[in-house]
Amino acid sequence: MTTTTSSPAGTSTAAHTESVTKVYGAGDTLVTALDNVSVSFERSKFTAIMGPSGSGKSTLMHCVAGLDTINTGRIFIGDVDLSGLNDKQLTRMRRDTIGFVFQAFNLVPTLTALENITLPMDLAGRTPDQEWLDTIVATVGLGDRLSHRPSELSGGQQQRVAVARALASQPAIIFADEPTGNLDSRSGSEILEFMRTAVDKFAQTIVMVTHDPLAASYADRVVFLVDGKVVDDLQSPTTDSVIDRMKSFGA
Amino acid sequence: MLKVTLRGLMAHKVRLIATAVSVLLGVAFMSGTQVLTSSVSASFDKVFADVYASIDVVVRSTNEVDTPFGPERTRISESVLPTVIGVPGVEAAEGQVVGQIKVLDKDNQPLVTAQGPPNFGLNWLDSPSLNGWTLVNGAPPVAANDIVLDVKTADQGNYAVGDTVNVSATKGVQSFKVVGVAKFGKLETWGGAQAALFATPTIQTLVGEPGTYDWISVAGQNNVSQTQLSEAISKAIPSGTEAITGAEFTEESQSAFQKIIGIFSTFLLVFALIALFVGSFIIYNTFSIIVAQRTKELALLRALGASRGQVLRSIVLEAFFVGLTASIVGVGCGVLLAIGLNKLMQSIGFSGPDTPIVIPPVAVLVSLLVGTIITLVSALFPARRAATVPPIAAMRDVAVDRTGASRLRVAFGLILLALGAFMLWFGLNGNSDSGLQIIGGGAFFVFIALTVIGPVIATPFASALGWPLQKASRITGRLARENAMRNPRRTSTTASALMIGIGLVGFIAVTAQSVKASTVDAINQSVTGQYVVTTESFGSTALPQSMATDLDNVAGVRVAAGISATFANVGNSGKVILAVDPDAISQVIEFNDVEGSFVSLGVGQIAASEKLAKDKNLKVGDPVQLVFLQGGATTLTLTSIYKTEFPIQGPGWIISTDQFNTLVPPSQQTYSAIYIKLDDTSSAGVDAALPGLKAVTDAVPGAKLQNLNEYKKSQTDQVNQFLQIVYVLLALALIIAIVGVVNTLLLSVYERTRELGLLRAVGMSRRQVRSTIRLESVIISLMGTLIGLVIGIIFGWALVTALVDEGITSFAIPWSQLVIIVIIAILAGVGAALYPARRAARLDVLRAISSD
Ligand SMILES: Nc1ncnc2c1ncn2[C@@H]1O[C@H](COP(=O)(O)OP(=O)(O)OP(=O)(O)O)[C@@H](O)[C@H]1O
Ligand SMILES: [Mg+2]
Repeated sequence: MTTTTSSPAGTSTAAHTESVTKVYGAGDTLVTALDNVSVSFERSKFTAIMGPSGSGKSTLMHCVAGLDTINTGRIFIGDVDLSGLNDKQLTRMRRDTIGFVFQAFNLVPTLTALENITLPMDLAGRTPDQEWLDTIVATVGLGDRLSHRPSELSGGQQQRVAVARALASQPAIIFADEPTGNLDSRSGSEILEFMRTAVDKFAQTIVMVTHDPLAASYADRVVFLVDGKVVDDLQSPTTDSVIDRMKSFGA
Repeated sequence: MLKVTLRGLMAHKVRLIATAVSVLLGVAFMSGTQVLTSSVSASFDKVFADVYASIDVVVRSTNEVDTPFGPERTRISESVLPTVIGVPGVEAAEGQVVGQIKVLDKDNQPLVTAQGPPNFGLNWLDSPSLNGWTLVNGAPPVAANDIVLDVKTADQGNYAVGDTVNVSATKGVQSFKVVGVAKFGKLETWGGAQAALFATPTIQTLVGEPGTYDWISVAGQNNVSQTQLSEAISKAIPSGTEAITGAEFTEESQSAFQKIIGIFSTFLLVFALIALFVGSFIIYNTFSIIVAQRTKELALLRALGASRGQVLRSIVLEAFFVGLTASIVGVGCGVLLAIGLNKLMQSIGFSGPDTPIVIPPVAVLVSLLVGTIITLVSALFPARRAATVPPIAAMRDVAVDRTGASRLRVAFGLILLALGAFMLWFGLNGNSDSGLQIIGGGAFFVFIALTVIGPVIATPFASALGWPLQKASRITGRLARENAMRNPRRTSTTASALMIGIGLVGFIAVTAQSVKASTVDAINQSVTGQYVVTTESFGSTALPQSMATDLDNVAGVRVAAGISATFANVGNSGKVILAVDPDAISQVIEFNDVEGSFVSLGVGQIAASEKLAKDKNLKVGDPVQLVFLQGGATTLTLTSIYKTEFPIQGPGWIISTDQFNTLVPPSQQTYSAIYIKLDDTSSAGVDAALPGLKAVTDAVPGAKLQNLNEYKKSQTDQVNQFLQIVYVLLALALIIAIVGVVNTLLLSVYERTRELGLLRAVGMSRRQVRSTIRLESVIISLMGTLIGLVIGIIFGWALVTALVDEGITSFAIPWSQLVIIVIIAILAGVGAALYPARRAARLDVLRAISSD
């Protein structure tokens, strides 16, 4: 089995899917979580994924990030076909080329904030680029909190550490599943602001799942999912334009 | 709430496996050993009943001496026999002679080895009402060189009527003619022991004393009861003899044997209790973890209106079910174990043949109770903690880590530690009769104290142990170290279980090493000879005195000096009395005079060690009254108080061989060891003397010729053998402790599902996950092992210090063994982590990160 396949979309996309279908269960309980989804995420762009609950947003993200398997179709990170990778290669892929921010429980409770940030690099046995680390820490504004454990940080601070971790290893793409879902609006906008900066200043690629039109307005583009299908694609969204689109398919 | 309990039980059944296993193993051990010892005991009761079945009355000497082999009696003179026969109601009476012999195979090697069942020589009784033997083949022994073998001996040695068979006893190897093969009742042996039968005068010279019997067996006429007959005989026989009924005689033999089995049984029971004690830590830990993990659920129950008592009862009930079930299965396993072991013991003659397994109801009941109660008590603390979970906890995040370090805990632990240390000190130095129990109790409290303090020291300990790991393997080491530190109470309880087992191993190892070092030291300091001849046999089958003369005559030998042992009552208690040729022995073993002269020790005189003289407040010239097992009451004069580094068995009484020979009959005039000094002590000289010495010793079956180094090694090997037995028995406690480590890791992995999922999501490889769990396991195992070893060394030091007067003069630490123990602990840690690490590495990343 070959581990890499060159993709027709070339190198301008950080990741893309080709007719991906994902079903859960069988028979009566069969759920089609993703239904023939073809979508690509451009490099150095901030893409938001929106859709009603149960529409398959998390599933799509997990599949693209190599955390879950798919039934049919193909998924590429850069020009690497994920279907050809074994667990070891997928692990290395997650460690070196993908960054994650989850809604909650992002940090290892026994490690300090700084250790959490450098975790993927420590796992890889790489020494982090100190200058880059300083830049990120300065941008996130955690300077005085770096030696604290997660339990000593607020929810917003914890999410900032999580985003810093995702950025620290300079991955090709960062996936964030409702990163602000548990935060108040002020902490939420700090995080979003920070992600925006990462895209603008450091040319980072970010894909974010969200329910919040305000959060989506920070993105360059919004992809709408309904019942596992991509139903719409909005460039340069604003809060209002997002709300309008959502109304149009009854979310 | 019962429904909740049962549901809980089903839901957590996997998590309760370790609890069940630890209870099960301990209970199986406990019930198994009890069933085994009861069965062996019962089988020997039957053996004695069978063997003495034909005896109505026994007439014997009143002089009894306690020996290390049990109470023994002086022989009775033949002259009593006609008197007994003359008593009305006596149908038949005959003298019985029993002693140990060695029937040799065709290569002149003993058919039954020293580890096998005893090999007896007996006289053939002529009266059919007294003789339990029936000839299968041939005729009874009549002539001086006639022998009748039991069926088993004849089979094993492939002897048939008409063959010549060699028998080894005091006079050396003698040839006999097989005139018959016999069985005892239905059995091929004398109730498990192998036997050879001789004409009375023959066996008297071989193992006893001409003109004497061990006792006189009497069969009564049908119309007289045993009691009537024994009373009638009592009136007729001379003073110094007594008559007891056959029933009493049988019972006496049975109870003497039961006493030995009882000691053995208690010894095993101690190890069963240790295993259960270690198991209680696992139970405590399991329930603590389950309670911690169910905090939310319990809080919800409380919020919905369940009372504290109900929550408490639900946990306790769960423990009760687990404890009872495991105990029942444990008793079952124990019985099976006992059946297997009994078969094994039967095959080597340590259990009577053809007897059923005895399952004493008390043992079953006690085992069930102990197993269940230990489970209940161990679960009580966690259950109480569960009951104090406030309803509000349902709304809070879980995994509230209660830190282990509280002042109260430290204070309580230190008080317990002081109590334990005091009990140890008192037990070792006080002169209490129950010293051993006090020492055991002290050790128990020390272990409990360390368990109480454990959580306080767990964090710094794990931190220190984890530090090199972190240096060596970075992030996995760092995580392992943090994980070991994050729940000090759990880590410390898990490690404590191991600490107890390892502590005992370390204690035994240090003590044994000190005993070995002291023995070697003593031999080095006191033995100036070059060769030693030893034997595992005793009395009539030990080394004939003529052997020393023969060795003396070997070219190059300066002197060959033998040591014998006999028994006597001094005051009221039986003592070992050694006998030597003082002049000869002084040339091979250093004896220093403290008072009087050791070398001139002669007939009518006795020597005492310096310590003995001090304890008894004796001085040279004092009379010492002894009642010898053989030779009767004598008063000897103390003419020497000596001092030697030589490890002498017994209390320190020494008489001359000349005196010894006036006391014991020729059949018992043997040496238990002979020490040889050469003219040329250079290594070339030592080598040159070997063939000549070997020619002499080879002629005596069972004699073992060793040079001084081999002798030292064989002395220390005895200690090693004991050590191995203890290690095997302690292995169970260690296995249970390792089960505990596996259990804790599994439950921790379960608890950290999300965290592991996160780590995997951000790029931790399966190998790294496994390595993290493995390192955590190694940290826990090392912690238990190192603390255990320190405790063990301290215990060992305390014991050795207390035993200086008993000749254990050096304190030695077996470093290489301790290093091996540490290495084994690391490997055990790695082994314990295998399954939990695999479980952790196999976690489905997605389910882990999305699990709530
Ligand atoms: N492990 C699973 N087994 C079975 N069905 C699943 C599983 N995970 C998700 N599903 C189903 O797949 C569909 C898509 O789920 P997904 O979690 O991707 O939705 P989502 O868009 O992220 O919703 P939300 O906004 O609520 O997070 C849903 O119908 C869900 O019930
Ligand atoms: Mg979702």
